[in-house]
Amino acid sequence: MSLGDYLRLLRARRGGISPWEIEAATGLTKGLYRQMEQRYRAVGDAEALHTLAAFYDAPFEELRWRLNWPRKALSQALAAARDAGQPITLQLWNGEAVTGRVRWWDLGAAAVETPDGGLVVVQRHAVERWAPLQ
Amino acid sequence: MGENLWALREQKKISVAALANRAGLPVGLIMEYESGQRSIELRHLGRLARALYVEEAEIKLQSDPRPGAAPLQRRSEREAAPQPTGQPTAPPPRLRDRSPRPRFEPHPPLPPRPSQIVHLRNLLQRLGRTPADLEAETGKPIEQLDRPTVSQWLGKLQAQIKESAGATPYRRRAYLPESVDEFEARYLAAVQEAGELLRFSLFDGSQIEGAVIGFSPYNVTVRLADGAELTLNKLALVSYRRMPPPAGGEEPAR
Repeated sequence: MSLGDYLRLLRARRGGISPWEIEAATGLTKGLYRQMEQRYRAVGDAEALHTLAAFYDAPFEELRWRLNWPRKALSQALAAARDAGQPITLQLWNGEAVTGRVRWWDLGAAAVETPDGGLVVVQRHAVERWAPLQ
Repeated sequence: MGENLWALREQKKISVAALANRAGLPVGLIMEYESGQRSIELRHLGRLARALYVEEAEIKLQSDPRPGAAPLQRRSEREAAPQPTGQPTAPPPRLRDRSPRPRFEPHPPLPPRPSQIVHLRNLLQRLGRTPADLEAETGKPIEQLDRPTVSQWLGKLQAQIKESAGATPYRRRAYLPESVDEFEARYLAAVQEAGELLRFSLFDGSQIEGAVIGFSPYNVTVRLADGAELTLNKLALVSYRRMPPPAGGEEPAR
């Protein structure tokens, strides 16, 4: 799960407080929080992550490592695996690992054909990490 | 025959200034029309009629001077005319006591956006340069540059990348269908049409099995084995897959 997806999850757990309310409460630059949540590439620095970790009462490292796994990087990894005809392994939020060839992906999901011939549709926000990276 | 412009205006109980404002004409011109010094131009007639809520034909093109009114004089003519003796001279025109307008002070340039900094660093990396190179050229750390300067630098670096792409083989951009949401929709439509069962894994660890009876970009509605219908928010889903066909059943199309 990318940092953006994780922040959205934390925000939902806080009752769906709005991004601008968070910016006002934390003193983050206007628009930064929204970008961190919505941009597909990595946005944000350590200072902003410390602020948000304190706000959400979440471990800083839990936010920090997700910064290196943005949605755009997942798209690149899926494209590279498909072009190379190589299998990809997706580590999911629930601890499950799905390995197989990439059949398709789009804005919300990716389909992986497992060695047994089945097709698993994985929601992109549930992907924690993947291998190979690219 | 029409009515004098000043008469119509007085009937409507509006001032010259208000009429000028409504018609979008200068006050001086209205006064000249009313005094009969000028006949109303046809292109202004419609405006005046609309401003007075009358028909054009009701306005006399050449107004008669108002009885008892002094002829209209321009200020320059009034000032040039000799003053009759024995009468007090008109007071000098009153100058407004107006303080000088504050000079326009441009706003200080804004600091760069965090996304601009990230983008700048990425471009430098692609060009094989380091932020220190840029800092040596600008004389400031990147974070201390203002937004317009960073924007200029982004443009420059992007132009350099374009130029260098001519010399080096251009890196083919991967097809990233980020802007479409159609593959999952096609898949769900095929599953729904085939009447196949899906097994959904949810974030809370539970699993749900059912046949798709509807979906949208945000949720999937399934019919469970007991006939109940359940709508699953996609944000609550981890993954889903087709369930294996029942023993002896027909192999579903993939």
